Amino acid sequence: MTKTMNYYPGCSSQGSGIHLDTSLKAVMGKFGISFREIEDWNCCGASVGHICQGHLPVAALSARNLAAAAAAGPEDVVSPCAACYLNTHHTNEEIRNNPEMKAEINEALGAVGKSYDGSLKVRHVCEVLVKDVGVEALKSKVTKPLTGLKVAGWVGCQTVRPFANTEAGGQWETYDEPSFLDDFINASGATAVPFKAKTKCCGGSVAVMSPDKTLELIKDILDEVKASGAQVVATPCPLCLTNMEMYQPEINKRYGTDFNFPVVFYSQLLALAFGMDAHKDAGLHQGLIPADVVVAAAK
Amino acid sequence: MSTYDLNFARWVYENVDGGDKMALCMQCGTCSGSCPLGAQMDYGPRKLFMMVRAGLKDKVLESNTLWNCVSCYNCVVRCPRQVPVKYVLHSLGTAAVRAGIPAATKSDNARFARAFWWSASKLGRTDERIVTALFYFSYGLSKGFKMAMANLPVALGLVKTKRMHIGAPYMCKNKGELKTILAKAAEIEARHAK
Repeated sequence: MTKTMNYYPGCSSQGSGIHLDTSLKAVMGKFGISFREIEDWNCCGASVGHICQGHLPVAALSARNLAAAAAAGPEDVVSPCAACYLNTHHTNEEIRNNPEMKAEINEALGAVGKSYDGSLKVRHVCEVLVKDVGVEALKSKVTKPLTGLKVAGWVGCQTVRPFANTEAGGQWETYDEPSFLDDFINASGATAVPFKAKTKCCGGSVAVMSPDKTLELIKDILDEVKASGAQVVATPCPLCLTNMEMYQPEINKRYGTDFNFPVVFYSQLLALAFGMDAHKDAGLHQGLIPADVVVAAAK
Repeated sequence: MSTYDLNFARWVYENVDGGDKMALCMQCGTCSGSCPLGAQMDYGPRKLFMMVRAGLKDKVLESNTLWNCVSCYNCVVRCPRQVPVKYVLHSLGTAAVRAGIPAATKSDNARFARAFWWSASKLGRTDERIVTALFYFSYGLSKGFKMAMANLPVALGLVKTKRMHIGAPYMCKNKGELKTILAKAAEIEARHAK
């Protein structure tokens, strides 16, 4: 059985989160799910676009993508990126529920002869893995279980907040104690260790622009990683991953710590456990902190 | 000496994203207690909301509270009255930038937002190299150079691991279409601002 979905990869898929895109496509292929990329997609505005522009121009970014997706077909729109998902889903809900916003967004789209009526469903890829694929199916594809590898499952914020537990968001997870990531980790044969900072924030884009404010947030999370006994951190969020990787040296300098934890995407663990190539499919050579311990665990 | 603008609360209720829900705030402080950077804020969201009600317009728009929100949405999902706190803070920040408050227009966040928007609107994509370079050099040549050098090891690491490409930025093909849509959206947005 094959299934096509409208895929919105987001800007990080061509940059710092490229290995999420690679490994996720490899994983989804195992379940006959193919991603049809939204034609000529644009940036979603992330968590800063509106600060100098206001609400509507940022909503228009998502609306252009949604209009292009709807023109390609009625299949659900899926995104692997927390911010892309959040913005696209949020705009979609505004179009569905707020007639004034719907009219204004369509007025903007109308300037190029396009329109969008809110007919699509926007979902996070992890929801698709939980509901459409299922954890049991994930386990069934494992040929090289990552036995013995201890992983801290770090969900972060926007993958589950503010939509995962809403009706329109599919009610697939809780906000404070999500279990899907641990389920994915355990499905790969690795062990998801109890981890207290599961939904703690890395500082998001504020960590990129003002690290002095947020280093302590990441340090607190790393303290919990260390306390958990994990060898590696897994996350679904491209910005969480890059922030935690790139600031470990600075945190060590400032706080006298010795953190050196590799950070990987859940999809990299799954691709590897499915017996796929550690580099070409799983992108496990692309960490700023080498993830050799992960590659070595596949047997 | 504080000045009170008695029309400010009404203006916020009517013009700020989520402002229509602010009247529901019962001052429980769940938002402030849930905030990762609450300790670094001039006032937590709870107090800021009370200041809006009191009409302390200048203090609200000059506060660093607007720039310490990390968009974690803890406040949004935990508020017992469903006040969308994050959206209110960011929209107040936008209002402060529009009002030309120096603390707002010179904030790291506004600088970063301008750099980000340049890439998103002109290229249709976020190019991490361009956004960070525009952001760093918004502080001037010498500070910008220092910031760029401090981040060079990360950039080189990303290039080495093929997570930052060398060469022309990735772009939308139909940049003209995007530009037209965004110009129209800005025009509609300006209608509201009046």
